[in-house]
Amino acid sequence: MSDNYKFDTLSLHAGHIPDKETGSRAVPIYQTTSYVFKDTEEAAALYNMEVGGHLYSRISNPTVSALEQRIAALEGGTSAIACSSGMAAMHLVVTALCSSGDHIVASSKMYGANINLLQHTMPRFGVETDFVNPNDPEAIEKAIKPNTKMVFGEVIGNPGLDIMDVPVVAEICKKNRVPLVLDATFNTPFLMQPFNYGANIVIHSLTKWLGGHGIAIGGAIVNGGNFDWGDKEKFPTISGPHFALGGISFWEEFGPSALTAKIRAEGMYNFGPSLSPTNAFYLMQGIETLPLRMKKHMENTHEILTYLKDHEAVEWVKHPDLETHPDHEVAKKILPKGSGSIIVFGIKGGRKAGQIFIESVQLASHLANVGDAKTLLIHPGSTTHSHLSSEAMKEAGLTDDMIRLSVGLEDIDDIKKDFEKGFRAAKKLIK
Amino acid sequence: MFINFKGAKTYVGTGGKNLETNKTTICFIHGSGQNHLSFVQQARYFAYKGYSVIVPDMPGHGFSDGNPCRSIKENAEWIYDLLKELKAKDIVFVGHSQGCLVGLELNKIYPELLKGIIFVAGSNTIPVNQFLLDLASSNPKKAYKMMVTWGHGKDGAMSIASWPGHSHFGEGFNVMNMNIEDALKLDLEACNEYQDGEDASKKINIPALAVLAKYDQMTPLKSGKKFVDIINNCESHILDCGHFLQAERPKELNLIISSYLDKLENIEII
Repeated sequence: MSDNYKFDTLSLHAGHIPDKETGSRAVPIYQTTSYVFKDTEEAAALYNMEVGGHLYSRISNPTVSALEQRIAALEGGTSAIACSSGMAAMHLVVTALCSSGDHIVASSKMYGANINLLQHTMPRFGVETDFVNPNDPEAIEKAIKPNTKMVFGEVIGNPGLDIMDVPVVAEICKKNRVPLVLDATFNTPFLMQPFNYGANIVIHSLTKWLGGHGIAIGGAIVNGGNFDWGDKEKFPTISGPHFALGGISFWEEFGPSALTAKIRAEGMYNFGPSLSPTNAFYLMQGIETLPLRMKKHMENTHEILTYLKDHEAVEWVKHPDLETHPDHEVAKKILPKGSGSIIVFGIKGGRKAGQIFIESVQLASHLANVGDAKTLLIHPGSTTHSHLSSEAMKEAGLTDDMIRLSVGLEDIDDIKKDFEKGFRAAKKLIK
Repeated sequence: MFINFKGAKTYVGTGGKNLETNKTTICFIHGSGQNHLSFVQQARYFAYKGYSVIVPDMPGHGFSDGNPCRSIKENAEWIYDLLKELKAKDIVFVGHSQGCLVGLELNKIYPELLKGIIFVAGSNTIPVNQFLLDLASSNPKKAYKMMVTWGHGKDGAMSIASWPGHSHFGEGFNVMNMNIEDALKLDLEACNEYQDGEDASKKINIPALAVLAKYDQMTPLKSGKKFVDIINNCESHILDCGHFLQAERPKELNLIISSYLDKLENIEII
């Protein structure tokens, strides 16, 4: 009898059992491009997707597959595909669901590269997007058109930390027969599993908390297997016939895993955004300690929130776990373990003070990443979101004085001491 | 492919190939609360090997409309009519779990119909505990989760799949969730009430193959072995996995079935 293993156990074990021949306890790094076929029959079976297996590492690889199976198990999905970055995952989903003439409804308050892809790149290929406030379910429903192929948002918005009311939006999507695609990078499956709230597809930047150590870029798509792709007019390339594999209907042949099969056969095969096996290994090492790290991330985050909100040098602090956050009630409902370890705050003295603060701290690192074990800081207005127009900046909830803090796992007293140095330097300058 | 059969939209998988019933036809029949996707790694494999493959969704299961059959006999009659409708001949029947009971009954009622019969994780009796019967009625989704957990071995629990990136539990639940809500309850009741298995097992006079699972909690190995012993001419194998062995050990199962089919062809030549 099999056991229904819990999250912490799956973080360590899912996707791999010790190798029967060598006994290797760790997941081996299969640093290979290709796999020797036993005979032509086996080769044909793999090409025709008759059975599972690996034929070329652009499409799948045993080490990468172990990572995929671990993520699928942690999210409670049918299957996952790991790829070279979170943005590659996003692009794979968009191109799997949309063709020229199709439409997307997306959150207006999300990561700059997501906005860029949908606002500037995809229209060149005939795919248009309407951006709406993710906290306004009515606006989301109103924006859905007959040719809408996905509703896209972030569970926790980056960097504004808006929380989407996932069950409400999921119900709207279900009613309108449109899949809800969520970027769940900031929450990770430890804090919240979107499929439990009705989402259909989850995207991760594995680079962040899942990997957790800032050493490897990677992304993943997790298929909830809970969407009916049977509408041949709306999803002709999933319910078929598709050009691949002799006019296959992925929906008829693979049912709940249809989308995964399609992305594997089309996206990975034709675009090739594969993840290297070595990076997959690094990312899996991170996932092994995800539960421990997330608990500590949240503990430190709550300590820092208390410290910042009472600090004389701080103008404002934003985090969904604070009662003052407009989405606090939604956060309590869908993120009971905490709303992630990103805090945004404004420092008294505006843009210049923020700049001095960031340049004066020594322990926290000034860089363009989040979710590292180490504490990280950035000024989004001049970096990650600098390409956005003033209007788009405002729409995304960004201000000049905003500092984005990714709370790390250091001793909390050391983080506070470091920040004091920054605040003192900023105050001195302003005086 | 979708057909209109007995007045209902009915899905019959063909393994991604056009149905050509002038060849040996392998008919795969799923178990309780399952559908054609139970055999996702067998249907395409054997279709591409040149067999004619039929993998129907029983009424109310998967993509098929209609109400689920209420007894094993009713299931067998439905399949007989479908095989006639599709003009299938030289039929090798493959049943999984409840599908094994259906195969037994089909062969008992129509002894000239099949040329071979394969039992996957099967037995000639499948008593169902009252707890699961009640749960399938009161909270089918919870029953799906329970069956998916019980139905897999260690590989399933640890999300080890030969299909890259797949999770047995996530896949298993969503396959069951495609069916109409009372499909599992009616299937389990049909299994529980079937009492003719021993008699039907003794009547098998065609070459039979049984592939059993060492860690089967749905149709325990002990029961499967007892069943195999009753059959006159039955080759048997035991695989190191749980009840859903088509998913946990697809390659091994396919090779065993292939070898059996080869032997079946040779018997005809002699």
